[in-house]
Amino acid sequence: MTAVRCIDLCKTYRQGEEDIKALDHVSIDIESGDIVCLSAPSGGGKTTLLNSIGGLDRPDSGEIYIAGQRIDTLSKSGLAELRLNHIGFVFQAYNLIPVLTASENIEFVMQVQGRSRGERRDKSEEILAEVGLAGMGDRRPAEMSGGQQQRVAVARAIVSRPTLVLADEPTANLDSKTSDELMELFIRLNETHGSTFVIATHDQRVMGYARRLVKMLDGRIVDDIDQQAA
Amino acid sequence: MSTTLTVSAALAWRNLWRNHRRTLIMLSAISVGTWAMIFLTALTQGMVTDMVRQGLAVLPGHAQAHHPAFRDDPNIVNLLPIPDSELESRLVGGDFVAWSTRINVPAFVASERETRGVTLLGIDPARERDFTFVELDTIDGRFLETADDTGVVIGRKLAETLETRVGKRIVVMSQSPDNEVADRGFRVVGVFRAELPSQEEDYVFVGKATVQKLLGVPDRVTEAVVFGNDFRNPEPVLGQLEGFVSADGVTAQSWKDLDVYLSTTLAAMDGFVLVWVIVIFLALSFGLVNTLLMAVFERIREIGVMLALGVKPAAILLQIVLESMLLLGIGLLIGNLLAFASVELISDGIDISMVADGMEMMGATSRLVPDLRMQDVVLANGVVLLLGFFASLSPAWRASRYEPVEAITTVQ
Amino acid sequence: MPIEVRLAWRNLWRQPKRTLLTTGAMVFSNVLLVFMISLQVGMYGLMIENGLKVFTGHLQVQAPGYIDDAKMRLVVPDAVALAGKLRDVDGISAAARGSTFALASSEDRTYGMAVMGVEPDHEPDVSSLPGLIGAGRYLDAADAAEIVIGKRLARNLKVDVGDELTLLGSGLDGSFAATVVTIAGLFETGIPDIDRGIGALPIGHFQDVFYMGDAAHMIVAVAPSLEAVPAAVAAVESQLPADGELVVHDWDALVPELRQSINADLGGALFMYGVLVVLVAFSVLNTQLMSVLERTREFGIVMALGLKPGRLGRLVLLEAALMGLIGVFAGAFLGGLLTLYFSVNGFTYPGLEEMAAQFNLPGRLHPEVTLLSLFAGPLVVFAFTLLATAYPAFRLRRLKPVEAMRAA
Repeated sequence: MTAVRCIDLCKTYRQGEEDIKALDHVSIDIESGDIVCLSAPSGGGKTTLLNSIGGLDRPDSGEIYIAGQRIDTLSKSGLAELRLNHIGFVFQAYNLIPVLTASENIEFVMQVQGRSRGERRDKSEEILAEVGLAGMGDRRPAEMSGGQQQRVAVARAIVSRPTLVLADEPTANLDSKTSDELMELFIRLNETHGSTFVIATHDQRVMGYARRLVKMLDGRIVDDIDQQAA
Repeated sequence: MSTTLTVSAALAWRNLWRNHRRTLIMLSAISVGTWAMIFLTALTQGMVTDMVRQGLAVLPGHAQAHHPAFRDDPNIVNLLPIPDSELESRLVGGDFVAWSTRINVPAFVASERETRGVTLLGIDPARERDFTFVELDTIDGRFLETADDTGVVIGRKLAETLETRVGKRIVVMSQSPDNEVADRGFRVVGVFRAELPSQEEDYVFVGKATVQKLLGVPDRVTEAVVFGNDFRNPEPVLGQLEGFVSADGVTAQSWKDLDVYLSTTLAAMDGFVLVWVIVIFLALSFGLVNTLLMAVFERIREIGVMLALGVKPAAILLQIVLESMLLLGIGLLIGNLLAFASVELISDGIDISMVADGMEMMGATSRLVPDLRMQDVVLANGVVLLLGFFASLSPAWRASRYEPVEAITTVQ
Repeated sequence: MPIEVRLAWRNLWRQPKRTLLTTGAMVFSNVLLVFMISLQVGMYGLMIENGLKVFTGHLQVQAPGYIDDAKMRLVVPDAVALAGKLRDVDGISAAARGSTFALASSEDRTYGMAVMGVEPDHEPDVSSLPGLIGAGRYLDAADAAEIVIGKRLARNLKVDVGDELTLLGSGLDGSFAATVVTIAGLFETGIPDIDRGIGALPIGHFQDVFYMGDAAHMIVAVAPSLEAVPAAVAAVESQLPADGELVVHDWDALVPELRQSINADLGGALFMYGVLVVLVAFSVLNTQLMSVLERTREFGIVMALGLKPGRLGRLVLLEAALMGLIGVFAGAFLGGLLTLYFSVNGFTYPGLEEMAAQFNLPGRLHPEVTLLSLFAGPLVVFAFTLLATAYPAFRLRRLKPVEAMRAA
């Protein structure tokens, strides 16, 4: 089954005097349950593609389907609905809500979805254990290390079982050991829950974990490697 | 919606205490502002209530009936056309807290040493006891006992000027309807004290029947006065009084028509309270909007994250507005408590006798007793919450309009 | 511009919205203060002037005790001559006046009234009443049997110019005094108590009727201005016989309610101003504290470079002072414009007319723009701005460079 289908996406930014082509006729299909790495140098278009898939950004032209539903034509609140229920996000470090504890951060999305208190608590405890933070639910972000914070962010992203988890440079602020642990967590979660992961990165170590590596340059896909086969 | 509300409220509450210094400073400002709104209003209302009370004491009555020409020409000629006994029998049937009929004419009193112009009040003491401005317990001698009492009761200041005292005689002169000067010696039976010195100088009490005999107007009076429950609302008693007398060509007026200064002052008070509350709010609003803008600005990234996670812009707006309302709510609570406490602390009144003559010029006494009125408290709190809501919309709107991608990547 | 001022100025505009809101609070309060103070300055001046000009004058010579209890027998002997002597003092106008109560009867009516005996030639110099004659004329001969009374009183007595009035009263010795006088004119001051309760006779006739001899009850004097009153009091005192039989009272003693009602009003106003200033101070405190806290790291760096905390404190104070100065000048300018508009067009609100009448004021007030009313309020706000900044500035002294640089 196809989790994500992008058809002929174009997006141009204006930066000073220049027009930057962030997406230049990009088409890509991502299978459900895959782990895909988008890699590109800075300004290569990987973040734009990721944000477009996540409904945070709108392409100038082209079509995007998530689980068969076209999303580039959705309204702002329709996109919010989509992100809330179908997509999990992991950003660079420091993206937790600082006034909420680890559990509350994880429960936040479920709370907005309107799930019951009991269900939220059970799920957040379960997921905290799963990401290796059992017993740390009461800590606030400021009381945790960068790696721990990022695990909480991952837990938050997957707790409501989204179709798709999008991660933008998730290891950018982490040391190599912690980066490895985070990627292993991604793999494990992918295996146990079957979630689809799309990770934008320029970290070689991260690319090594992906099943499929998509390389971009100047807004175009220049290489698409099935690393499982290799 | 209800979950959005709980989530937003919880976040608003925690965010409020993130920068506790800023919140505490803002809370202090709101509390001081609220305190000042309510406290000053209570003091001013207290003064106005005092003025009206003093004014009504000498008028007196919430509504009065006169001969149509009497106000312009307060002369014994302008008697009520209805015999007093007839008038009394009508007034008995009314739903009044109190009522009385009296002769109220200018007169002239003389002792062997001095003469003075005064207001002569011929009263039925049994009817007037409850609402006279004379402090009966401080009277030197006695008050009048019956309507045909032949004694006179004068104020302390007048007694000093006339160099007279209880037991001595003075002459009271006034005009009779045929413009003869009617005069008669009266024994001073009582000397009263009043809250305002001018009341002690101006008013002279004699028995109604005695004055009727002196002026040759048996069974006639110049005015009927009635009291209702609430001086602020004299219309019900005025209506009744009109019903009793208007058929005879008698004019009935409420105190609001009789004393324009008092009634405009009373009316202007409500305007003053509103202006004062709005001025304080405006002075606060700059700080409030500033605080909210800073709070939003500091949190652009996490607002971006929330939007990216699928939180609707409306929920962000709600969160910021709630944060503002919480801040205002707590500030109002403290401010109200402070105001109630300080009003309670001076509930016996504060002595301002150093400006007593000035207060008398305004018509008030030298003891300022605060008058905390619920409707003013509600007005103050209501205005702050309502305007506070509108003031917080702009920063809140701004916060909800961020593009998630830009917000997340904002460098702080 | 010195580098520090330039630095402070640029720092202010790093957060333009915040700076604008904070100065906005100052300007708002300052405009309000300028307008209110101007209104009060104008109103108080008028209250005193109107309260005194009708007949109190700036000072009076009386017998001791007369001020508390205006008794017939407490007289100023040889009053007309003494008034003449006082008129010789530079800048002083003076007139003798007798005062008593009498019963006035016309054909149809009898009323009690206050009767003054005045010097027709000199009364216009100490009182505005002779100038307010609406019908007929003022008195002109010192011993004619004529009178001027208030228009309301004339209406109540049902008389007009040329009619006769019978006055009954008691003389200085307590004996019965009576006279018949012709109404020469009617005055209208607009003050109800005066228009319905007062009349004036020539002093010669007054002295005859009430057996006063050459005595009167007061000598009313007017100095060139209110400021000149204390000097005038001293000058008049030096002209009086040294035996203490006569005393001088200034207007403040004669009508204490004037100054006191001003003080009562001022007290309420000062409370309001105080609250406004405190609220602005909170606003400034908040802003400056925020601006110090968010620059902790930056301050740590410059301290590491060798800048002393005292200088940083001065920088923060300088920033507040610059904001304060904008507040002072913008406030004084805008407040001045607003006040100027109303000083030309007059200012009123519903109910003002009725209330103003109680204090002898017109129904439209004209605020008065003076240097004091323009800058008194804004400068107090400025002082509190600096005071409020003292705490954030002082906090800087405790800053340790290494910790500061680690701050987020």
